[in-house]
Amino acid sequence: MSIINITLIVYMIASVAYIVREIWRSGAIKWISLGLLILSFCLNLTMVAKRSIEAGHPPFSNLYESLVFYACCTAFIYIIFEFVYNFRIVGALASVLSMLILFYATLQDDTIRPIMPALKSNWMLIHVVTYMLGYAAFGIAFVTSIIFLVTKPFVKKTKDDTGSEGKEILLRNFDKLSYKIVAFGFPFLTLGMITGAVWAKKAWGDYWSWDPKETWSLITWLAYLVYLHTPLVLPKMNINKSKASVMLSIWLLVAFVIVNFTFIGMNYLPSASDSAHIYGSQ
Amino acid sequence: MENVKQNKSQAVVGIKKDNTKQVNQGQSGKSERGNSNKVWQFFCSVKLAVVIILIMVVACILGTVILQEKTIDEYTARYGYGLATFFKVTQLNNVFHSYWFSFLLVLLCANLISCTIKRWRNTFLQTGFILTHLSIILILVGGVVKLQLGIKGGVNVYEGKTANYFLTQIINRKGALDYVKKDLPFTIALDDFILEKNEPKFQLVSYVKSKDKSKVLDSKLGKRQRVPGSNYKVTIKDYISDAELKQEPINTSDTPENPAIFVKLFGSEKVAAEGWLLAYDRNYYEDKKQNLRIEYIWLSSQEEVEKAINSIETSNTKLSVAVSGKGVSQDYPLDLNKVFKLEGTDFSVKMLQYVLNYGDRRPVEQQPTDNPAIQVEINGPEGPETRWVFEKFLDWDKMHPAKYKNLKITCSGLASTYMAKNTVRIYQSPEGKQVIVFIKDKHITEIVPWELEKKYAIATTDRQVMVSNYFPSFDFKKEVVKKSDQIGTPAVFVEVEGPNGKVSDWVFSDNQYATWYTDNNFGLVYEPTGESVKHFISHLRIIDNEQTVAEKAIKVNDPLKYKGYVIYQSSYDPEAGNYSGLQIVKDPGIPIVYSGFGALCFGVIFIFYIKPFLRKKLKKEAEV
Ligand code: HEM
Repeated sequence: MSIINITLIVYMIASVAYIVREIWRSGAIKWISLGLLILSFCLNLTMVAKRSIEAGHPPFSNLYESLVFYACCTAFIYIIFEFVYNFRIVGALASVLSMLILFYATLQDDTIRPIMPALKSNWMLIHVVTYMLGYAAFGIAFVTSIIFLVTKPFVKKTKDDTGSEGKEILLRNFDKLSYKIVAFGFPFLTLGMITGAVWAKKAWGDYWSWDPKETWSLITWLAYLVYLHTPLVLPKMNINKSKASVMLSIWLLVAFVIVNFTFIGMNYLPSASDSAHIYGSQ
Repeated sequence: MENVKQNKSQAVVGIKKDNTKQVNQGQSGKSERGNSNKVWQFFCSVKLAVVIILIMVVACILGTVILQEKTIDEYTARYGYGLATFFKVTQLNNVFHSYWFSFLLVLLCANLISCTIKRWRNTFLQTGFILTHLSIILILVGGVVKLQLGIKGGVNVYEGKTANYFLTQIINRKGALDYVKKDLPFTIALDDFILEKNEPKFQLVSYVKSKDKSKVLDSKLGKRQRVPGSNYKVTIKDYISDAELKQEPINTSDTPENPAIFVKLFGSEKVAAEGWLLAYDRNYYEDKKQNLRIEYIWLSSQEEVEKAINSIETSNTKLSVAVSGKGVSQDYPLDLNKVFKLEGTDFSVKMLQYVLNYGDRRPVEQQPTDNPAIQVEINGPEGPETRWVFEKFLDWDKMHPAKYKNLKITCSGLASTYMAKNTVRIYQSPEGKQVIVFIKDKHITEIVPWELEKKYAIATTDRQVMVSNYFPSFDFKKEVVKKSDQIGTPAVFVEVEGPNGKVSDWVFSDNQYATWYTDNNFGLVYEPTGESVKHFISHLRIIDNEQTVAEKAIKVNDPLKYKGYVIYQSSYDPEAGNYSGLQIVKDPGIPIVYSGFGALCFGVIFIFYIKPFLRKKLKKEAEV
């Protein structure tokens, strides 16, 4: 069996372990689930490393390679966060997310092709890595928003804010958790965009040319910028706290759809044929 | 208090409401009227910021969904006249350089400036907020400088030539594409242009006909892979980087299943031509210049050989018609368009035309006597039928639909009637009778029994003929060999498992047709993945005032800068590869934009990483 299939399966098992952990809380299962996720992350990382050696260039020169790396980053960011906060059920969905991304990679053409001259730049490396870390964080925020929205009607409001375990975050505070994760990812997105601009200047002579891919990355950035500023606006508009949280969580779902559109979906735009940045159109 | 708490936990930086109020009061105190205070409030508000950003998002989406900066004709063709005009009026055909988008950006700037002024406090913790907001302004100002003072264009320079101008592309007032020539304050000389290509790569592509689906397979050796969505499995068993198919003739048995002879034709001691003649396949050699034809004729018995030799001179072209089961049979001479009645039956035949090489478009006189045939029209109880009758393929009618299946028609003599001036017939039969018959102008000049490795002179020509080998059962042994260590014509040896079991074969990269599996539903092609360019490098020299002032080998990602101009390697001549496409850019706004970039990067890092860290520390200190 190929490493990609093994990785997919381990992600799956990790996800199941996280669900078990939610039902039957014990220290042991907690470490098992985390361990499994770390294992699948390591497998995924091995794929990235192996690919990079086989291809002889940084492993993000086409959609397949980028997706494998994206899945890897998603697992990585989640694991980091789990060491900071007690995330509970998020792990189950995070590993499913990684798995789906990786599965989508298996549907792509994985032929190793020589890298085109414009991609031979160190800026490309920073650009892709920062972007992928940012995207990965937004993926986790997407997951926490879903959990917040789904559990909201069932969670009692009376209990006090602080959880019993200190690090433990209560389901009803998942909106705040989403915010923290976006705040963590946003600098990466910004750095990704700016390094992309600097690289474009070096390679094509212009840091910004309203290319469809560039424009969509701006849309993505603006979407999260709006998210970060709206908490300042909503209270002034007489929108109550609970409604505001719901609106912001929904906005995060939309924003993550935009992320994926920028990453993958925009290849299907009519203007895509004019773009210098579309994968696979070499 | 509820609001304060929420802001603290949710906003980028918790806003202290009371603080805000103080500042507001300070500001409103200065302003003379409540009205101007309201305008100020409006410009300062995050609400305005959010609204502007949301409108920008919508504009950006429109700007990617609607094709941008195309000619008016392209719009009309794609969207129709009405929409095209609408786009032109609303500037949706060039969203990002439209007046309304510029207005949005100006509004955004005003908003940013006023909110930054309003919230300006000289505390270290504010650094990020101020930097990020100022950075956006810097980037926008830099962008305006670019639009006003910057230029961007391109020029194609041939190797060894120079250029002192470049072209910029614009959409003119009429909505058509136009080029404007701009002079450079210096001259660019292209001393050398290097186009380096990657080693060609190849891929194995499968095609399932019934599903009309093709898929690039993994090129790994020895890996058994299922072709998705089908029942075929493919394993690449071997690979040769530069393969050649060698076909070696072999004899597989002593029973004459596929008789063949190797014939050498000598012209004054030297071999003029040589090759295999196969009784059941290509059985002749023709030398047009000498008007010479050599034929190899295999017949099943000695009598037949004699009969054939006897009929050479006497034979006339004839058509034989026989009705099976009735014992009726009749011969007719070649006489076009004459109706012959078949005695004792309801049938009549008529010869419509004859050819010497069926399918040859040339006039009959110019055709070689390769596949003679007569077209016959049969009239019978069920109406007329036309069919071709082939001299060399006697059973042709058995394999093809015919109305009168019981009517067996053959023809003979065409081949000998239309013989070359010099004809050499090499006869052979299983019992060992083997003779060469030399024919000149349809007359036999000599009949000699032949032996292997013996030369026989062909009268009135300077040629000699020799049969040097005889294989009763001729076959080809196919062998794929390695020609060189380089990548030349790669080939893979592939095993396919499918409904008809395992089949393996070599698939060559120079074969433009698919190699089909036995069910003719699954094909494989081994093809180059397209030539890709590794590097293209231009050795440039800048000449200013007749002096070389700069020199650099530029490539993508590594431009040359001179006098505020930056020269980029952007393209190359796709056909011959002997000109270099240079992009020439001048953008005085770059320092401003790049400081904006720096400020933005540092600003976001400060806000989201440094500031929370500092706050925690401060909080801890306060607690102590
Ligand atoms: C990377 C981009 C940006 C970041 C990180 C950022 C961050 C912030 C922060 C931290 C605040 C709160 C300041 C405080 O509490 O003292 C703020 C306020 C504000 N931001 Fe931004 N901002 C960014 C871009 C923008 C942009 C592009 C606009 C566009 C107009 C904008 C408009 C505003 C406004 C109007 C406020 C004032 C809030 C108020 O007065 O209550 N920001 N921003």
